Amino acid sequence: MFKPQEMSKVIIAGTKDYMKAAIDVLYAHDVVHITEFSEESEDFKIGTPYPEATKLSEQAISLRSIANYLNIKGKEDVSTKYTVDSLETTFNEKIERLNFEVSKVIQKISELDSQIKDFTDKNKQLDPIKSFDIPLEMYRGYESIAVFVGLIKGQLSIDNITTDYYLESTPYSRGNVIALFVPKAFETEVFTALQEQNLAAISIPEIEGVPKELISEFDVKVSGLESERETTRADLKKLQQEYIDYILALDEYLLIETQKAEAPLNFATTKNTFIVEGWIPTKRLEQVQGDIDDTTNGQCVLGIDKSEAAAVEKVPIALENPIPTKPYEVFIKAFSLPKFNEIDPTTFMFFWYPFFFGLMLGDIGYGITVVAISAIVRWKIKSRGLRALAGVGIYAGVVSIVFGFIYNEFFGVEVFGERGLLSFIYAYPTIPRFDNVLNLLIVTMVLGIIHLSLGYVVGFKNEYTQHGLKHAVYTKLSWLLILYGGVIAIVIILPQLTRGSGISFSSGLVAGLALAVIGVIFLILGEGVIGIAELPSLLSNVLSYTRLVSIGVASAGIALAVNKLSDALFISKGGFFLILGALMLIAGHAINTALGILDSGLQSLRLHYVEFFTKFYRGGGLKYKPFGFERKYTEEK
Amino acid sequence: MVDPIGAGMIGLAAAIAVGASGIAAAMGEQAIGSAAIGVMAEDEGFFGRGLVMTVIPESIVIFGLVVALILLFVTLPRL
Repeated sequence: MFKPQEMSKVIIAGTKDYMKAAIDVLYAHDVVHITEFSEESEDFKIGTPYPEATKLSEQAISLRSIANYLNIKGKEDVSTKYTVDSLETTFNEKIERLNFEVSKVIQKISELDSQIKDFTDKNKQLDPIKSFDIPLEMYRGYESIAVFVGLIKGQLSIDNITTDYYLESTPYSRGNVIALFVPKAFETEVFTALQEQNLAAISIPEIEGVPKELISEFDVKVSGLESERETTRADLKKLQQEYIDYILALDEYLLIETQKAEAPLNFATTKNTFIVEGWIPTKRLEQVQGDIDDTTNGQCVLGIDKSEAAAVEKVPIALENPIPTKPYEVFIKAFSLPKFNEIDPTTFMFFWYPFFFGLMLGDIGYGITVVAISAIVRWKIKSRGLRALAGVGIYAGVVSIVFGFIYNEFFGVEVFGERGLLSFIYAYPTIPRFDNVLNLLIVTMVLGIIHLSLGYVVGFKNEYTQHGLKHAVYTKLSWLLILYGGVIAIVIILPQLTRGSGISFSSGLVAGLALAVIGVIFLILGEGVIGIAELPSLLSNVLSYTRLVSIGVASAGIALAVNKLSDALFISKGGFFLILGALMLIAGHAINTALGILDSGLQSLRLHYVEFFTKFYRGGGLKYKPFGFERKYTEEK
Repeated sequence: MVDPIGAGMIGLAAAIAVGASGIAAAMGEQAIGSAAIGVMAEDEGFFGRGLVMTVIPESIVIFGLVVALILLFVTLPRL
């Protein structure tokens, strides 16, 4: 619970004849975290992958491209599972056939695409001149006439050059389309004049016929081609449905076989033997050990490395927490995994995170909303990270509801008691937030002190296991002494200062100061004089917990504002305005819920990451990645 | 009888406390936020940590908020 899973360092060694069998056993168990072998020496070389690795990964690539054409993402749920045996014997020819069938359809689609594009392009070209009844062949092939077709700004004015021309003109876009026929003699002059009018020439397609007729003819062709394309796409869809099970299974099979074939890249090998180093959860050790022994007839052995060197090496970390606290692991993983000899703070977060969240959000209505949203996410969404967050959300929402009863708030409205919505229900002693700001501020600072103390105590334990008692006293107990000494002193001094009576030294004050001074001495012994520079951070850490009130009051303030405004602006006027008022209430509270979840969630997390974790947590653990695969679409015999 | 000018002054003081510290927090978050987005372009897994780092300067505005709350809910009623 407070510790990551216990790991044992293992060495697996055997003759090369049995390497494949050993790989199969390790892979099937999916528990051994293999440490990469990288330092080659005279005796030990990095292993070479099995020759089929290349072939397998080539097949995997062509399968992926087929899957891509068929729009198979690789995460679909399917009903049939394929056995490894059935895949192994058939996949080569099956991939070939699939490739043939799919590429036939894909090719047809792309041919249709290019034909459709061809016709639509022509239609686009013809569109400007569609109102001219000149057949396309009339635009070209003259010896003494120059033809200009294009878009110009304004009306054509070339009368000062020549009046001997034929012109078709019609407004188009933000200018005019012209088809101008002039004697060749004037070609250059007219061209210059046209350029001054920003001539954008239109090229005439090399086909024959009247534009208007051609356009309608092409439109018919395009719609014919498009419907053909639709049927071909339906064929593709049919192929997808037919083969999806097989493709997913085969993809998984190829991935697994490639991984197995490439496994020797992490092994150390000699001419006839191989050695694998790795880590295994201690509780699974015997089972794997026995299995390897059985499968390889004792030709491979799995031994435990209990040497000193193994103990300080990078141990892979697998968190191990009971199911109720498991969702909180997501926060630890996002921060950094603990080292093997560090305390896993998941369980602390299980208690404190929802507590802080609820303290901030603290509203029956918002709490119910959070629980409902989280439940829906957990029910509908498959993503592991989101599901974990939703799990956290359910706890946090429930605590928010509890605090909602304490604060007596339902979507910012008072519920129980004489001022409340349900005034007939007896008001138990509630703590309305707006009336108790000062008290709540003090309570949260006390909570902060408790939370920080817990951090230092855990830090003490960590330092004690890692560096011994002396170090733990100097670096952690010192801070605890400073914290409590400081608190005692401030609690005594502050009232005296606010009364303006001057400081009188009582025994309590002296004791507090003495504690703090001892703490500072320890600190200097532990971290040097530079440690003093860290002292003010303790004060800001404690003050930081006042956010628990201020964010809560701000959120309650927004809720109150939404209610008051919608009442004053709309609801009090009745009739049609009731609808507007309801809409404003819904929108306002929706925004406030989103803000409340985001802010309470992040600030509670921040109090853990920044204030709490810095007191004990270093992290930097290596992620445990067992060699193996959780089969989803295939099964072994 | 509450002195209206005094009450108004307290209201203004609370507004300045929240407003000015809000601007300060925003200035801090701006720099961290853009850096965090930069890291996310490299590694999308940084989103969670980036978000938390971005809200670290929020402490500033929260202290402003605490000051405002004390002014409005503690000092003002005692006037």
